[in-house]
Amino acid sequence: MRAALRALRGYAFTVAGIAIGVAGIVALGAMAERIVAFIEGGDRFVLGQISVAGRGMGMGAGFTAGGLLPAASIEAIRKVEGVQGVQPQVMLPLNPSTSQFLTLTQELVVGMDVSIPTPNRHYPELPVRDGRFLRAADRRRAVVGAAFAASHGLAVGSPLVLEGERYEVVGVLERMMTAPDRFVIVPIADARDQWVAKDRLLRTLLASGAAALRADDLNTGAAVGWRPGADPDAVALRIREQVSGVNVQIPSELSALLRSSTAFFSALLVGIGALALVIGGLSLANTVAAAVFERIRDFGVKRALGASDWHLAREVLAEALAVTISGGVLGVALAITLGVSVDRWVQRAGQELFLFSPRLLGGALVFSLALGTAAATYAALRIVRLSPAEAIRRGSAA
Amino acid sequence: MPPEVTLRARGLVKRFAAPSGPPIEVLRSVDLEVRAGEMVCIEGASGSGKSTLLNVLGLLEDAEAGEVWFGDQPVSRLSRSAKSRERGRWLGFVFQAFLLLPSLTALDNVLLAARYVGRAGADARRRAETLLERLGVAHRRDHYPAQLSGGEQQRVAFCRAILNDPPLLLADEPTGNLDEDNGAVILAGLRDRARAGGAVVVVSHRPEAARAATAVFTLADGALTLRRSAYKEASR
Repeated sequence: MRAALRALRGYAFTVAGIAIGVAGIVALGAMAERIVAFIEGGDRFVLGQISVAGRGMGMGAGFTAGGLLPAASIEAIRKVEGVQGVQPQVMLPLNPSTSQFLTLTQELVVGMDVSIPTPNRHYPELPVRDGRFLRAADRRRAVVGAAFAASHGLAVGSPLVLEGERYEVVGVLERMMTAPDRFVIVPIADARDQWVAKDRLLRTLLASGAAALRADDLNTGAAVGWRPGADPDAVALRIREQVSGVNVQIPSELSALLRSSTAFFSALLVGIGALALVIGGLSLANTVAAAVFERIRDFGVKRALGASDWHLAREVLAEALAVTISGGVLGVALAITLGVSVDRWVQRAGQELFLFSPRLLGGALVFSLALGTAAATYAALRIVRLSPAEAIRRGSAA
Repeated sequence: MPPEVTLRARGLVKRFAAPSGPPIEVLRSVDLEVRAGEMVCIEGASGSGKSTLLNVLGLLEDAEAGEVWFGDQPVSRLSRSAKSRERGRWLGFVFQAFLLLPSLTALDNVLLAARYVGRAGADARRRAETLLERLGVAHRRDHYPAQLSGGEQQRVAFCRAILNDPPLLLADEPTGNLDEDNGAVILAGLRDRARAGGAVVVVSHRPEAARAATAVFTLADGALTLRRSAYKEASR
């Protein structure tokens, strides 16, 4: 143990060099993982339901961006063959002055009619980390997404003011790595109040009595579920054909749209991954090989003392593995420390940059180990082919 | 009956590539025989090929032609690993630059010699400690080479060379980097090895080395010439 520690101490710079290489791989990989999780999470969320909005360009935002979806339309959707459950929703931007672009990252107020079970097949219940989800009788209560809670410093029991009204946070969702992380979920009646408060045109219209609107007509959209065995695309097409005045998102089309809109991120992801492997890998391989070559004179001396190829190869590989594992573990720890620190800082703005998944950490360690072994093997093969005298000469000249 | 031959070399030729022109021939058909109990000193001008000859005799590098025997076994054409094995079994080296491993303590440097010949263990440790004691560096056993003086390093290196009690000791300018007192200790150690029945080949400029040797050769222009031999003088 003492000898191993002493040997590792002699390799401090090598271990540090490897650690930096591995930290680079892991940090860039964790950013890539975060993007993957975001894309996959969004895909999974929107594919779990058929999203329907009222036709037009209204105040609503998010997946159901569009015009008004009155109660009559919701009732008509409910009657379409294959439909199982329609949950009226109101989605509003938290801050109406911000654009409705980038709806996946926008902070949204989502009004849900929780008397109706959530029809999203992948998220029949949104996972609550602290507190509880909304109940049908709740008013002026809110459940917030994890990123929203972090960026606004909210916890269960915290007060939250929306459109001048005071809400109490009763629950915080688990981090889902997708849109709900930025949601403020409130009872749909409260969301309707907010909508009226935010939208001057709607307020004027209602006040004029020109439109015969009831409270349950104020929906920006609806989440629609399908019966077991039904084809969601076919159900969505039937809604489009049979219900007038609605925008229906076909799940497969939406998925394709989502993927094409995130194609840039996917390409970026491949680029980041390749860059991480090349830069980190080269740094690691170079460090390990240099560490072996640096000791070329020692190997020459050992050969003079009777060490065979096998003795040297075993020693080189054992040392390379020891320093690579040490450097790898240190690099992973370094990347996690840096990532967590940066995330803590950017979480104040509701962001999260790194996702240290087990597959990333395991992959990075296996990759570095394989590369370290390959570099050490290459160096060992070069060294054992030298005569002991040549090894001593080169080592002494270095 | 003369003692048996420990080291024999016949027709050794060694050339090095020159930056331009034909290769430089540093050994031209060199013959040498060293018997148990002999201490052979090889002298020659700087760059005459003395170290190269020692390297070839110790299988640290190959000659272009010729053969080396340890005892009655030809060893020049053995595989790399077999040569390593024979080096471990037959040879001890003392280098001018000591060549201790910087990451090991004095004791561990000495024990390194036992590691590759399968002798590592309590016996080797005891012998290493005894040798360090005998050479006057036992109090430095846990020090690293950088913490030792040149003389102490060479004493440690000498202990390493004789730890396995090899039949043949090759010393390349072993006193070249030492002061007179330390040089005398090392030369005495080499002479004692020969007196104890070992064969010693030493490359040295020092007149003391030549005086301590039983035979003195000069290497010049690639040729090895006998200048003095105690055996020849005795047989006359």
